[in-house]
Amino acid sequence: MTGPAGQGQGQGEDQGQGQPAGDPQESDTGLAHERTSLAWTRTAISFGAVGGAVLKANVVTGLIILAIAPVIWQLGRASRGGAAGPGRGAVSATRLFLITVAIIAVALICLAVAIFGKSAPGALR
Amino acid sequence: MSWSRRLAALLPRTVTEDSGGTEPDARFTFANERTFLAWSRTALALVVAGLAIVQLLPPFPGVPVGRPLLGLPLIALGGVLAVTAYSEWVRSQHALRRGEPMPRSVLPWILAATVALIAIIAAVVLLISATQ
Repeated sequence: MTGPAGQGQGQGEDQGQGQPAGDPQESDTGLAHERTSLAWTRTAISFGAVGGAVLKANVVTGLIILAIAPVIWQLGRASRGGAAGPGRGAVSATRLFLITVAIIAVALICLAVAIFGKSAPGALR
Repeated sequence: MSWSRRLAALLPRTVTEDSGGTEPDARFTFANERTFLAWSRTALALVVAGLAIVQLLPPFPGVPVGRPLLGLPLIALGGVLAVTAYSEWVRSQHALRRGEPMPRSVLPWILAATVALIAIIAAVVLLISATQ
């Protein structure tokens, strides 16, 4: 861990590079942005994988869930395009709320398929 | 707080109007968002695991309710996890804006307790069907 000496060195470097004092780790925000957009991609792929799995149990339901995947992808692209600004919190609240709604919808659909759907026993055998 | 007010506090419009405090460091906002996304993927995985158990597994001999007993709680847990993850995201963002200590997360507890419960039920179902 960096002690006081390490912190002092870090500050010295930042000043040496001429970074603005109020924003010493601007490049790190870019990495956080990158990580977040990758997380969005993983989430979209997850929806696709779930849709593919449900396809095996019920074709129509699987297609509906598969159709959600590109929507999640687009929501993620919205996060990539907009830089971190004052209005960011507001935008992400709506997007994350939509994801929650989508998962609830998928859960309800899966529940209906699980209860009423014709099962294909032994498909995993 | 009543349930209706708690639910109303989760709507995006209410979250957007919550302009108290100051905009936190963008990295914290991103990290909070990633945490929510990771929990929502976990929720999705639980939902599809529950569906696979009910629809794709061969029936357990001697335990006709075995598959729904294991699968339906997993699907329900997936839904609960998604809603809880969103409410925790709202609470964390609220705390970040005000520089308050981060709220304690109940999600690991919910997940661990339910997975343990499902494991016990699965062991019992397997033992019963093995003795048939």
